[in-house]
Amino acid sequence: MRVISKEDFAEFVNALIKDKSLDVVGVKAKGGKFAFGPLESASELRLDYDVTLLPPKKYFFPQRETLVTYDVATGFAAPKTEGVKPLVIIGVHPYDIVALLHMDEIFKETKSDPYYFEKRNASIIIGINIQNMSKYCFAPQMGCAVIDYGYDLMLTDLGNRYAINIGHAKGEELLNKYAKNVTAALARDIQLVGQKKREILSMSKQKFDFSPELIPELLSKTYEESGFWEKHSEKCLACGSCVLVCPTCYCFDVKDSTDLSLERGERIRTWDGCLLEDFAKIASGENFRPTRPTRYRHRYFKKGKYLYDRFGFISCVGCGRCSSNCLPDIANPVKLFNDMYHETQSLGVIIAPAPEPAVEIQTEGNIDYVPKLATIVKKVPMTANETLFEIKLDDGSELGHKPGQFVEVSVFGIGEAPISVSSSPTKKGTFELCVRKLGNVTTKLHTLKEGDKVGIRGPFGNGFDYEFLKGKDLLFVAGGLGIAPLRSLFNYVLDNREKYGRVILLYGCKEPRELLFSEEMLALAKRDDVEFKPTVNWCPENEVWTGNIGVITTLIPQVSFDPESTYAVICGPPIMYKFVIHDLKGRNLPDDHIILSLERRMKCGVGKCGHCQINQIYVCKDGPVFNYSKIKGVPEAL
Amino acid sequence: MAKPKVAFFDFAGCEGDQLQVANLEEELLTLLGQVEVVAFREVMKEQSDNYDIAFIEGSCTRLQDEERLKQIRKKAKLVVAIGSCATIGGINSLRNDKDLDDVRKTVYGEDARLFDSYAARPIDAVIPVDAYVHGCPITKDEFLSVVKSLLLGKKPDIPTYPVCVECKKNENVCAFERGQYCVGPVTRAGCNSCCVNEGTICWGCRGLVDNPNENSEKEVLIKYGLTVDDAINKFKLYFGWQERKR
Ligand SMILES: Cc1cc2nc3c(=O)[nH]c(=O)nc-3n(C[C@H](O)[C@H](O)[C@H](O)COP(=O)(O)OP(=O)(O)OC[C@H]3O[C@@H](n4cnc5c(N)ncnc54)[C@H](O)[C@@H]3O)c2cc1C
Ligand code: SF4
Ligand code: SF4
Ligand code: SF4
Ligand code: SF4
Ligand code: SF4
Ligand code: FES
Repeated sequence: MRVISKEDFAEFVNALIKDKSLDVVGVKAKGGKFAFGPLESASELRLDYDVTLLPPKKYFFPQRETLVTYDVATGFAAPKTEGVKPLVIIGVHPYDIVALLHMDEIFKETKSDPYYFEKRNASIIIGINIQNMSKYCFAPQMGCAVIDYGYDLMLTDLGNRYAINIGHAKGEELLNKYAKNVTAALARDIQLVGQKKREILSMSKQKFDFSPELIPELLSKTYEESGFWEKHSEKCLACGSCVLVCPTCYCFDVKDSTDLSLERGERIRTWDGCLLEDFAKIASGENFRPTRPTRYRHRYFKKGKYLYDRFGFISCVGCGRCSSNCLPDIANPVKLFNDMYHETQSLGVIIAPAPEPAVEIQTEGNIDYVPKLATIVKKVPMTANETLFEIKLDDGSELGHKPGQFVEVSVFGIGEAPISVSSSPTKKGTFELCVRKLGNVTTKLHTLKEGDKVGIRGPFGNGFDYEFLKGKDLLFVAGGLGIAPLRSLFNYVLDNREKYGRVILLYGCKEPRELLFSEEMLALAKRDDVEFKPTVNWCPENEVWTGNIGVITTLIPQVSFDPESTYAVICGPPIMYKFVIHDLKGRNLPDDHIILSLERRMKCGVGKCGHCQINQIYVCKDGPVFNYSKIKGVPEAL
Repeated sequence: MAKPKVAFFDFAGCEGDQLQVANLEEELLTLLGQVEVVAFREVMKEQSDNYDIAFIEGSCTRLQDEERLKQIRKKAKLVVAIGSCATIGGINSLRNDKDLDDVRKTVYGEDARLFDSYAARPIDAVIPVDAYVHGCPITKDEFLSVVKSLLLGKKPDIPTYPVCVECKKNENVCAFERGQYCVGPVTRAGCNSCCVNEGTICWGCRGLVDNPNENSEKEVLIKYGLTVDDAINKFKLYFGWQERKR
């Protein structure tokens, strides 16, 4: 530990500011509150602050950030930056430092977010121990009020001087280079710092009526208590304030913004929040979290359970910002969890600490947000609203997908949408996408011509385990556009026919004219190594249909299969799964023989933006293919 | 859309929005490379009968207006409402609450009987509207962004969330914390919370979000010290028509 007088500390800060190779920000007063902002002089610093309006994550994950630039003439590119200057942040409270460490884990899981880490790695964090605590703060209870990690330097105010803990070599170098008269701490300083830290631990005015360690378990006992969530969210304005100000929230939206030329523009990510109404809404109009209680519940689960299960930490550092920013005062985690605790107690539910989650965080490489340029080489209209696009990557490379994976397709000036690869990997040189015209991207895509350019990212997602399925009997069940992802596996199987057992395809759509891949289907009907049964919900008088009429489940009794050796592979509209699964189980098909591909709103495709989440699962990364036995207990899944 | 013809029409409003468009100067020039203006009262007098996009400003306040609107709808491929009066009824709908005869007298004096005025309403209360440029007045940026979207064949990106979202991102001190009263929590965002950024409040000029929690907002206003009447008046300023419809 070192010590520096306040005068010398001010000199140190001013020296940092003077060095134009650094960016220096710190806590300043803002309209009666406090905010991190650029410093012009050390005298602006307000290290006695209670809490800042926004947490310092804004420097690494800004409110608005360009991910990609595009130009119809040249394609997509990463934004040009002039390189990132080292950023010194002065006056970060310990809870915000812990929150940054959480963000680091989240932004690095599976693949690292290069935009976040470019800035984060260039940062130097000078923390300060809390002098005034906001009345909503409960960082001490979360173990985030005093820390001995995560910072480069940590200050403690000792009246006329600061004690400095050095956390990292970067901090020490900074002191050596810019500070004068730094002395070793005396025993009494060390003692004083210890005393201050103990005082901080008892500064919080918020009280948990139980040990916060129980939060994950408490939550899992309360998920189904819809009355509880309705009551607590009744006043929710769906204003998103609680998540937008939170230091550990990381969800984002991605939008394209075009300039006046209509040919050039930027793809921008902005903060988003799961409390907002359209967060989980998809182009067909379906909203997977349509009500305030479901969205309100998601936030608490995300903080207290989902991220805990994935990373092993409760993703709340107790800063109290959500509580102080929620106008109807319903976002205070301490209040909510206390209510939850008392409710479970009154119901006689016993809450024991959850077992330590098995955390397996892997990270490999960087996310590439920049799409590859690709050409539409063939466009085949299939129905009034669906078209098959054959696409070739301009760099000549293979997409290299597995059946069941998807790509993010970019249309210049419009945006990006996830689309399943509909062709088998055995097809080389090009790949196919079967697209339904629904919203912005998909509609514009339909107006493009052969030879026109699109952008492609991916392939993403897990795909079907086609190796495992070898030797098994396969029962494909496709509803409507659900045939698109199944076709990649189906065609793969046909191309390796001898490696698989029986192949049955049940395919249903609303009416005959909506039938996709009709020519291929006709050819199938002629094969004797495939059992093919199509159905339509109804057949209008002016159309011809000789097959089955009825919803897809009416086909199930018409096929025989051996539940031991058969695996069902299902994809269709959300409503379809429940019924199909019910009937297959009725035919004794074991749960782990049922494989599904699911759809959710997506933005990033790489497990970062939060949009595709089904409870703790990311569809884009953990799916879109799931074994039913693994997700049947996941309440939001089906 | 290749060089579409564009027409501007005004109904009951202050024409502040067309002025905003006329003020676009440089951007308008770039834009005029893409569009052709055929009837724009602020800038030119001629009216043509041939247009692809009709921009309509002002609310519908008389039965006669309805006929004119239906004519426009018939001729235009796309109808865009611009400014609060056209998108949500705007300030005009403030008077809907007062006795209409009184309103007529204040506005038209002795000739009141000659004018057949009724509850002011937004354009989409009379004809289908394809896109909205909200705001009172509209901002250049949003106008341009909507026109760009239309030219690209994209649905304009109008937020469904409230102004608080932008306000938080802008790191403002909340009006309620400054002893003021704000309807941002129920007002459709898209203005980048510009009024709060300037240290004032949101008055609600972009109208209610699709599913506002009005009761909760009123409760908040009252909790922070407004009287019930004042809370109701906060809602009347811009939400008159929308509230009536709900
Ligand atoms: C894993 C997966 C595979 C898919 N495969 C296909 C396919 O093969 N063929 C096909 O036609 N459609 C497919 N979809 C659905 C397709 O992604 C949506 O129809 C499409 O995103 C709509 O985008 P839009 O811009 O036209 O609509 P808008 O309503 O303008 O949507 C705006 C944005 O919201 C997001 N979004 C909206 N709807 C969805 C959705 N249903 N799923 C995910 N994100 C959405 C996208 O980011 C989209 O760009 C798939 C979806 C997923 C999740
Ligand atoms: S909980 Fe509070 S802050 Fe969060 S969205 Fe609802 S009203 Fe807004
Ligand atoms: S949930 Fe609330 S208290 Fe917890 S970290 Fe987020 S804003 Fe702070
Ligand atoms: S899903 Fe989680 S990280 Fe995303 S906004 Fe909600 S609470 Fe925050
Ligand atoms: S000032 Fe208004 S818009 Fe901003 S956060 Fe407060 S209530 Fe919301
Ligand atoms: S802050 Fe409110 S009043 Fe101001 S422009 Fe935005 S919506 Fe209108
Ligand atoms: S987390 Fe962004 S799409 Fe899955």
